[in-house]
Amino acid sequence: MGTDKLRLILLSVSVAAIASGHQALAQKIHNMRTLEVTAKRPMKEIGIQKTAFDSLALKENIALSMADVLAFNSSVFVKSYGRATLSTVAFRGTSPGHTQVTWNGMHINNPMMGTTDFSTIPAYFIDQASLLHGTSSVNDAGGGLGGLVRLSTSSSAIPEGLSAQYIQGIGSFSTFDEFARLTYANENWSTSTRIVYSSSPNDYKYVNHDKMINIYDDNHNIVGRYHPVERNRSGAFKDFNILQEVYYNNLRGDRLGLNVWYTYSNRELPLISTDYGDEREFENRQLENTLRAVFSWNHSRSLWRTAVKAGYVHTNMNYDYRREVSDGNWADMVRSRSRVNTFYAQGDVEFNPVEKWYFTAGVSAHQHFVRSEDKNKITADDGSVIYGYDKGRIELSGYASAKWQPVDRLGMSLVLRQDMAGDKWAPVIPAFFVDGLISRAGNVMLRASVSRNYKFPSLNDKYFLPGGNPDLACESGFSYDAGISFDAGVSSAVRFSGNATWFDSRIDDWIIWLPTTKGFFSPRNISRVHAYGVELKAAMAADLTHGWRLDLDGSYSWTPSVNQGDPVSPADKSVGKQLPYVPKHSASVVGRLTWRKWAFMYKWCFYSKRYTMSSNDYTLTGHLPAYFMSNVSLEKLLEFRPLDLSVKLAVNNIFNEDYLSVLSRPMPGVNFELFIGITPKFKNKRTTDAVY
Amino acid sequence: MCTLLTIIAASGFIFSGCMEWDYGESEDFEVSGEGLFIVNEGNFQYSNSSLTYYNPESETVENEVFARANGFKLGDVAQSMSIYGDRGWIAVNNSKVVFAIDINTFREVGRIENLPSPRFIHFVNDRKAYITQLWSNQIIIFDPSTYQVTGYITIPGMSPESGSTEQMVQFGKYVFCNLWSFQNRIIKIDTETDTVVDELTVGVQPTSLAIDCNGKLWTVCDGGYEGNPFGYEAPSLFRIDAESFTVERQFKFRLGDMVSELNIDREGNTIYWLNGDVWKMSVDSNRLPVRPVIKSQGTIYYGLTVSPANGDIYVADAIDYRQQGIVYRYSQDGDLIDEFYAGISPGAFCWR
Repeated sequence: MGTDKLRLILLSVSVAAIASGHQALAQKIHNMRTLEVTAKRPMKEIGIQKTAFDSLALKENIALSMADVLAFNSSVFVKSYGRATLSTVAFRGTSPGHTQVTWNGMHINNPMMGTTDFSTIPAYFIDQASLLHGTSSVNDAGGGLGGLVRLSTSSSAIPEGLSAQYIQGIGSFSTFDEFARLTYANENWSTSTRIVYSSSPNDYKYVNHDKMINIYDDNHNIVGRYHPVERNRSGAFKDFNILQEVYYNNLRGDRLGLNVWYTYSNRELPLISTDYGDEREFENRQLENTLRAVFSWNHSRSLWRTAVKAGYVHTNMNYDYRREVSDGNWADMVRSRSRVNTFYAQGDVEFNPVEKWYFTAGVSAHQHFVRSEDKNKITADDGSVIYGYDKGRIELSGYASAKWQPVDRLGMSLVLRQDMAGDKWAPVIPAFFVDGLISRAGNVMLRASVSRNYKFPSLNDKYFLPGGNPDLACESGFSYDAGISFDAGVSSAVRFSGNATWFDSRIDDWIIWLPTTKGFFSPRNISRVHAYGVELKAAMAADLTHGWRLDLDGSYSWTPSVNQGDPVSPADKSVGKQLPYVPKHSASVVGRLTWRKWAFMYKWCFYSKRYTMSSNDYTLTGHLPAYFMSNVSLEKLLEFRPLDLSVKLAVNNIFNEDYLSVLSRPMPGVNFELFIGITPKFKNKRTTDAVY
Repeated sequence: MCTLLTIIAASGFIFSGCMEWDYGESEDFEVSGEGLFIVNEGNFQYSNSSLTYYNPESETVENEVFARANGFKLGDVAQSMSIYGDRGWIAVNNSKVVFAIDINTFREVGRIENLPSPRFIHFVNDRKAYITQLWSNQIIIFDPSTYQVTGYITIPGMSPESGSTEQMVQFGKYVFCNLWSFQNRIIKIDTETDTVVDELTVGVQPTSLAIDCNGKLWTVCDGGYEGNPFGYEAPSLFRIDAESFTVERQFKFRLGDMVSELNIDREGNTIYWLNGDVWKMSVDSNRLPVRPVIKSQGTIYYGLTVSPANGDIYVADAIDYRQQGIVYRYSQDGDLIDEFYAGISPGAFCWR
């Protein structure tokens, strides 16, 4: 479909959104939006650079993972290989391993790799999400040299009474998404069960610019050639997630919560664009079973609060690369098996003795047990050889902080944190934050912070066979940032907010895996990186006339991330150059226009060109040009006596952009998905709000 | 109000964009005389392998000649190149393909697809050639004139899962091949029957193979690595009599040495290898040299070749494996003559 035609569709869609509607959906969206806005800063957040995601971004549609939400609603860099394939997130020019991720307080970074695959986290399972940029991550955890992604569920998202919701999505490439949620809440108890199931052959078509098909004459002379239109081969997936929550509130200051989340993911890994093999003869599959559970107890009194958490993560990850050597006879080239068991405990206390002082302290422990092996390799004489590693590691983190607000307009915070992994202690991590309200008109506020930070090598970094390096040192960082923000109403109907942040961090002993002459990779503390830049965010919310409402959110990042290490060789051209795969510029805009029962959304994101070579050479085979991405959706809510019905059409990559996010991984062109949501109205329900 | 909505609707068009694909065009080349092809592996899964062409006489270099001549990428992890007649054959390991190019124009003239994991190519005659593989217990037989696979040589005592056949040299009607990954043998193939007729156990993981003027095979074993279930030992250099197919002498290195890239000069008098530095030794020597011919200057040597025309030594430094590697050209005495940047991870060479 041509771009012009698509533009016409967009115009039609816009006109359709303007043409008719009802007040309720817009009202509902207004109500939902108020859930996330916090006009007054709590003392806990003095000086913090934080991006919070509203429920509209998280619950846009059931097909989205957290990787999609972050790509279009924040300035972090999401490196994605496509839907249902590895998607990692990096802040401020750092690497994905420098992003810490918590779910209801528990770390969910894979202890083997140190990274998190955001494509496995359904956005519909997250009620509250926020980013703590750079230094601000020290408040929650150590090791977040780039920042921290805080994900959680919430009892406040459960409406009183019995509620249910079912959504089905049917999309291009035979993609099916299903979501169901059943909730119940009374004065003391609330419970929720959510299920998401997604499946697709994911065999989208693309023009393969990396290949040419030859046309031969009878003498095998090439007489013509062309770029083939190919399908994404071996990209099928089936992902199932279920989340059970139970909360109890005794209304006397005690709240108990239990969250259990199970993931089954069966994914083929797509062939690269230069693969000339027959996909029927090869299987490249990743199978994951993960169970995460967190129990929490919060005890609140007027001056203090305690929180205790305990949790468990079990991950069973299989990776198989097989080849059919003869009919029905498959040979395993890789048969990798990984088991991770993590036990988690955390205790926090907050104390607010007087209005001007606020103290917090806490300690957390994650005990990992990891067994990683490739069962394909030769066994020794006793038949018991494990080709891999079987290790346990305890990770402790303790912190104390004091926050002081001597006058209403000024706040300061000091955090001291100490991390330990295995038998190694990192030096104390100090962080200092300050903020000040310089103008009540427009809520103009200045923020600044500085911190030291350390990150331990992952278990694979230390023990992976072959290549693991037990002698690796911690990566360490020194970060500053400063920013200004405002939030002002131009009139009763229009509100603007925005902030600008400058940041600067230097990371030493950056770990990189490099090949060896023995044919495998091995990690080394090799680089020193200076990452700095500016983050800008702006938002506008306008209640227009006749029930119209417009919300615009935008972000922009300028993130030079420069290798300042020593040359690894006399001919090394990488010193002083931008790190590979880190875009210098990225931006996103989300616009929502609502009118009565109609809602129209436009999402746009941009990444500047990314180098794939450390020397920043721009070669035919070694660069990724800049690209823009545009998605739209149109939703209509229909209200009936027994139920509410919502119909939404989402169009992704509306301009049919022919693009790459990672070398040799073509992404899908324009694609569509239709969602139908059903929300029954139960008699005992006090509110008609949908279950979001 | 209408104006505002129009602006909002129109703003979407501003945000549309188009990624520019700046390859797809074909460039004309015409070279002659002595020349050196450098096969740059690139990074696994990134399809950024490339082919470099160097003219030793004019000291000029052309990078990415395959992509420039053909308008598409060479592929993922190009492993080796062999020339037979006026065609160059490039094994692109993780793309599961072998491309044949005209060595004067670099234009593709044919290809063999759907190969499990091609490594090296050896030509027996105009109608028969062998392709070794990783993760397979078979050597592929193909007809270079038709680009058709015509058969397989199954390696005894090897499963597909841990299979690895590597470099090949010919002595009379026999082709010898070292078995590398999780292996420790050299096999002998009868080219008339395309069967393995004998095998010889050497050290852990023989990486490369050469034959000298005296009819002796040379192989260097990397010794594996700590934790390797197949074994970890000091690397060794083996001299093997090709006629009797027996080990004549074993030269041991120190445990932990990184020995690789065994090469031999045109006359077959001197062997060369990498072990941090560049080393050379007469094929008649009975002890390892104590000093390298070219000392590492903070370089990470990755590839090695010796000019068949004048014995110049070419050694590649992959630097950090994420940028263009550099190739240094030295005289036989170790004096630097020239240097030039090639592609990412320059690992194999091929003389025309």
